[in-house]
Amino acid sequence: MSTLEYEPITIEHLYDDHHAWLQGWLRHRLGNAADAADLAHDAFLRLLTKPRRFDSAPEARSYLCTMANGLCVDLWRRRRIEQAWLDVLAARPEDLVPSAEHQAIVLEALLEIDAMLHSLPPKVANAFVMAVGCEMTDREVAEELGVSTRMVRKYVARAMLYCIRLDARQAVEELPHGVPCSV
Amino acid sequence: MTKANTSRSTPLSEPSHQAMEQAAEWFALLRSGEASDADRAQWQAWLASARENVDAWHYVERISRRFEPLQGNPARRAAVSAFQRANEPCLKRRETLLGIVTLLGVGVLGWGCWSHTPLPGIAMARRADHRTATGEQREIFLSDGTRVWLNTATAISEDFSIGQRRLRLVAGEILIQTASDPLRPFLVDTPQGSLYPIGTRFTVRLDRGETFVAVYEGAVEVITAGGEGATLSAGKQTHFTERALAFVEVADPARQVWSQGILLADNIPLADMVRELRRYRPGHLGLSPEVADLRVFGSYPINDPDRALAMLESVMPIRVHRRMSWWVSIEPER
Repeated sequence: MSTLEYEPITIEHLYDDHHAWLQGWLRHRLGNAADAADLAHDAFLRLLTKPRRFDSAPEARSYLCTMANGLCVDLWRRRRIEQAWLDVLAARPEDLVPSAEHQAIVLEALLEIDAMLHSLPPKVANAFVMAVGCEMTDREVAEELGVSTRMVRKYVARAMLYCIRLDARQAVEELPHGVPCSV
Repeated sequence: MTKANTSRSTPLSEPSHQAMEQAAEWFALLRSGEASDADRAQWQAWLASARENVDAWHYVERISRRFEPLQGNPARRAAVSAFQRANEPCLKRRETLLGIVTLLGVGVLGWGCWSHTPLPGIAMARRADHRTATGEQREIFLSDGTRVWLNTATAISEDFSIGQRRLRLVAGEILIQTASDPLRPFLVDTPQGSLYPIGTRFTVRLDRGETFVAVYEGAVEVITAGGEGATLSAGKQTHFTERALAFVEVADPARQVWSQGILLADNIPLADMVRELRRYRPGHLGLSPEVADLRVFGSYPINDPDRALAMLESVMPIRVHRRMSWWVSIEPER
């Protein structure tokens, strides 16, 4: 078995040079030291799992900034979903509040669904979640959203196509490639 | 959910766009509540007609499975309303607007730009949420119970949202006594950086392109715009520009008592005293260099700078010339 021929990516160097300012930058954006530390950690973890070569410090900096910005947006979306879920629960009469276990299951599913649908227009995403998550008929969804049943059908098909393409692309990206086959 | 006979796990190649589109349409029809037996038979025929159709349908099933935790859940309607609420377009619009305002404030106008204009902060201060005129002091309560004292010629903007409580100091000086809210961190932005207080009482002042912070209770985390950081514990102070953070030193108690209308001088040069008084007094206040280094002691009323001047005049070898109401100069006593 041959050892690694290519130059090792010096993640330690990157970390030394960029971790402090990245964390500061994140803290500035997020207004929270703990979140900033977590996201800075996540950013370097991603670099570890998907190594990249940088030819200059500014290049690394701008890449890290872009990645960290994406992580911030993800975090904000998560927080928004969590808050909306808490708000909805708070507005329910006590005997209708689901058990802690159900609450956690729902939240996790919502976060996953939101991560999948967040680029879709809200109406399309809402119709899709109602139709599939609540197993409502097109007529029921149409009434709730104030659109025609034909529109609901279109929304559902559009959201599903979007998700299929997303998944298919991911599946292809995740295929191991460029790895020499061992006999 | 209708299941097809798909035994293989993840397909190795991406199905054609046409296969994916048809799969999505079949899915929309089959689950609509309006599909007939004939529709279902046609769908089976579609599946059987090509390998890539089965592959595409495999994705449909995978995606549907993500909704399973909701489907059997008694709280599913609540979950859907939470999802809708989080997706409310008005919320999105608001965020975009805020983003644009922030960009305008910081990017286009630029902090540096207005701080060098002859009437600093006026343009920004007019848009601020809370402000005081020169010589005015005011105490306000924010919606979370935080107490803020605004010193003379001060402007702050308030941006309280779901995730955080953010104050922007646009001009002047504030003393903050934060109310605790474990879910929403508090932060204060200045043109030179950000402050993250932890259960505190502290002052923040903008002066000549620098931010001055002094902490009297709790602690404050300081991060300059350039990313430098320091933690200030109670009794400590520092100042910083966008790029440089000064050493942490012992806090000057005088920096806090202004909230009680007092300017405390403990062996400070007259020049510093006058510089302070200028902040509270509209118009020109000149100081002759010959007396600039005289030392000042005692407490002076800052709500009434003219009386403070008279008090100084009575204890120091100086003469206060009132050439006009808006033009006063301090000279050596002859």
